[in-house]
Amino acid sequence: MSDSEDLYHHVGRLTRQLHDALRELGYDRELESAVGSLPDARNRLSYISRLTGEAAEKVLNSVDETKAELSRLSSEAREMTASLAQDPVSAVASGRLMCFLDEVGRSSNRADAHLTEIMLAQDFHDLTGQVIRKVVTLAQSLETQLVQLLIASSPQETLETASVAPTPAAAQAVEAAPQWPAELDGPVVVSAGRNDIVTDQSEVDDLLESLGF
Amino acid sequence: MTNENLKFLIVDDFSTMRRIVRNILKEIGYGNADEAEDGQTALSKLKGGNFQFVVSDINMPNMNGFELLKSIRADEELKSLPVLMVTAEARKEDIVSAAQWGASGYIVKPFTKATLEEKVQKILQKAGI
Repeated sequence: MSDSEDLYHHVGRLTRQLHDALRELGYDRELESAVGSLPDARNRLSYISRLTGEAAEKVLNSVDETKAELSRLSSEAREMTASLAQDPVSAVASGRLMCFLDEVGRSSNRADAHLTEIMLAQDFHDLTGQVIRKVVTLAQSLETQLVQLLIASSPQETLETASVAPTPAAAQAVEAAPQWPAELDGPVVVSAGRNDIVTDQSEVDDLLESLGF
Repeated sequence: MTNENLKFLIVDDFSTMRRIVRNILKEIGYGNADEAEDGQTALSKLKGGNFQFVVSDINMPNMNGFELLKSIRADEELKSLPVLMVTAEARKEDIVSAAQWGASGYIVKPFTKATLEEKVQKILQKAGI
C-alpha cells in the first residue's frame, strides 16, 4: 500500500469513528436540526431584504411626489405674487387668487397624505425586527451546537488550551435578554402553500365574521 | 366626555410602531394617548389610569398581548375596556383565540391608516362610546 492510500484509509477510519461517536452522543440529530434550520434563516433574511427594499422604495416615491407637489405650488405662488403686484384688483376679481388658495389647500392635503405614507412605511422596523430576533436566536442555537460538537470531538489537551466557551459577558447578555414567547410566529416570511394563515386584513375580517365575532 | 378626549394606551415593544399608531390616532382625532412597551407595564398603567381604549401588539416580552387581554378581561375594573389587537401574528388559530378571549378587534400588520380608523370607530360605536 502506498503512503497516500494509507493516509486515505487513516482519514476514512477517523471519519467513521467521529461519525459513530457523534451518533452515540446524539449530536448527529442536533447537527441535522441545526442544518435544517438554515433554509428557514435564509427565508427570513430574504424577507428582511424584501421588506426593507419595499419600504425604501415607498419612502423615495412619496418624497419624489411631495417634492414635485411643493415645487408646483412654489411656482404657482411666484406667479400669484407677480399677478398681485401687477394688478391686485384683477387678480382677486378674476378669481385667480381664490383658485390659487383652493389649490394650496388641496396640495397640502396631498403632501400630508404622502407624509402619512412615509410614516407608515417605517413599520418595517417592527416587522423586520421580529424576524431578526428569530434569526439571532437561531444563530445562537447553531453556535451552541457547534461548540458542543467541538468539545465532544476535540482531544482533551486541545480543549484545555482552547477557548470554546462563550465569554462571561456574552453569557450574561444572553441571560439578561428579555424572553419572547416561543409559541408565537411573528410575521409570515413565506405564505405560499400555507392555509393556516391569513394574508391580509380582509381575510381576518372574513374569518371573524364567519365565526360570528 | 367627547371622543377627542378618549384616553388610549398603545402597547408595543417597538417604539417606532407605538409612534406610528400614536400619530395615526392623532390624525383621526384622538390625541390623548400613552404608551407601554409590554403587557406588564400596560397592566400597571391601566389600573387607575382612566383609559378608555387599548391598542395592543401580541408578540412582546415579559407579558404578551394575549396574557394582557386575559388579565384585562379578568379584572373587575378593566373588563369592559375595548382592546384592539394590532399584530403581525397571522395564524388563523391566533386570530380565533384572540376573539374568544374577548378582543374587540384584530388588525394584521402591515396596516393602513384607513384600517386603523375603521376598526377604532367600529369598536367605539359598538361600545356606545
